[in-house]
Amino acid sequence: MAEASSNSSSQTERPLSPHLQIYRPLINMVMSIVHRLTGIALYFGALGLAWWLFAAAHGPDYFAYVTSLFATWPGKLILFGYTWALMHHMFGGIRHFIWDFGHGYDLKAVDILSWGTLVLSVLATGLIWFLLCPAIGSNGSAGSPLSGGI
Amino acid sequence: MVQLTLPKKSKVKPGKTWNEPERGGDWKEFRIYRWSPDDQDNPRIDRYWVDQSTCGPMVLDALIKIKNEIDPTLTFRRSCREGICGSCAMNIDGTNTLACLKGFDDVKGAVTIYPLPHMEVVKDLVPDMTNFYAQLRSIEPWLQTDTPTPPKEWTQSRDDRAELDGLYECILCACCSTSCPSYWWNSDRYLGPAVLLQAYRWVIDSRDEATGERLDNLEDPFRLYRCHAIMNCAKACPKGLSPAKAIAELKKLMVERRV
Amino acid sequence: MTMRTPLKSVRHLGSAKEGADHFWLQRITALANVFLGLFLVWLVVRLVGADYVEVKRLLANPLIALPLLLLVLSSALHMRVGMQVVIEDYIHTEGLKLLLLIVNTFFAIGVGAVAVFSILKLSFGG
Repeated sequence: MAEASSNSSSQTERPLSPHLQIYRPLINMVMSIVHRLTGIALYFGALGLAWWLFAAAHGPDYFAYVTSLFATWPGKLILFGYTWALMHHMFGGIRHFIWDFGHGYDLKAVDILSWGTLVLSVLATGLIWFLLCPAIGSNGSAGSPLSGGI
Repeated sequence: MVQLTLPKKSKVKPGKTWNEPERGGDWKEFRIYRWSPDDQDNPRIDRYWVDQSTCGPMVLDALIKIKNEIDPTLTFRRSCREGICGSCAMNIDGTNTLACLKGFDDVKGAVTIYPLPHMEVVKDLVPDMTNFYAQLRSIEPWLQTDTPTPPKEWTQSRDDRAELDGLYECILCACCSTSCPSYWWNSDRYLGPAVLLQAYRWVIDSRDEATGERLDNLEDPFRLYRCHAIMNCAKACPKGLSPAKAIAELKKLMVERRV
Repeated sequence: MTMRTPLKSVRHLGSAKEGADHFWLQRITALANVFLGLFLVWLVVRLVGADYVEVKRLLANPLIALPLLLLVLSSALHMRVGMQVVIEDYIHTEGLKLLLLIVNTFFAIGVGAVAVFSILKLSFGG
């Protein structure tokens, strides 16, 4: 944003004090940024869901092609990231609901809620992929609870 | 696009070291943001060493000692030195607080001191507060009534008065507003935590009769709704208040009056 | 160069007397998305390894198709209002901001339309 600056040389242009560069990365601020980033990721990730549904509606050949793309390593990585983004955004959203209702404002609660968002999102993502990939969690013997069913 | 980095002329350069720790004494290093309109240069970080054994415990004590004994050109605002005037608000060790309430024992290593973030700097640690005060003026922080003024006073029940606890204590130091990233990017249109807390203080004042008009003036995508509950404000407040909570209450009232 | 008073700048164009609707819509769709998002996760887990016939049969089931439709609608709304805030936060050039807000609306409607069309075709397309 270009502010109208004086053209007289007598008035020196004032500097802007440092902000993002020097502010301590408090967990609440970091989780807020991540909430926004995951939201943006999910926004564009919605294209993937629409594409997958479109492929299913289009026919078996195209569907097979699209699912084979999702099954590649980059595809899986994107899906894994998408899962985490979804979980983080969801738990972050629940944290916002708690605040919206006027709870969780003492500083300890703010930290617990912020860390909680991170921890729960990682755990939930782990759980979902444990269910998704029986091979990862099976360890040869027990297998995932759903491994037989899918 | 909002600029997330500093403009070229605002980038901070290394400055000079004014003194070195001497033998004996308990020395603490202070790294302080310096800029003067007189030198046409970029801002810089100057280093000072203060003997803690001959200095009061607060960052403000150290600043005063530096100004008195090492460098009289160092410029900062201060007045009451006991957390009631709000003058010495600045960014110390990465967070906003009052220099008079922040003990430098809390800080490991060197104490870094910047002016309140994302503000125009007048000189050194003195930011330009013009916009902040104009924003406060815009929410009309005074009692507004239509009922003829009673002969003695506007009365208030104990419960009504209790509503103002956690709000009236605000000293308008601007630690909260200038800790808020949303205020950094949109201070031209977003009122920021401090002013919104003040707005809420008048909205819930049992004696004030302009509640609806106050909410009308606040209901705006930018004035109020740039708050994204980042919570830096609550952590910054040197008086232990929660502007974030006050803003949440305002948002609740906005919903309440339409459902 | 301007000589407007600070108060004139702060009052600017006055209050839009708007924002609560946006806030409410954002929260309502968020609430719906908590449940519908978990449903999506369940659905994806359920469908892993399934062949095309199975996928098609399941997606055509009203008990699957209906929540999926709701998810698409709720998400499209939520995406639109969410990205709107992001654009307003960071883009201050009026022309570009307007353009991006329009693109944002088109994107949400577009993605939503493709998904809705596909679900309906799976259900009714034979």
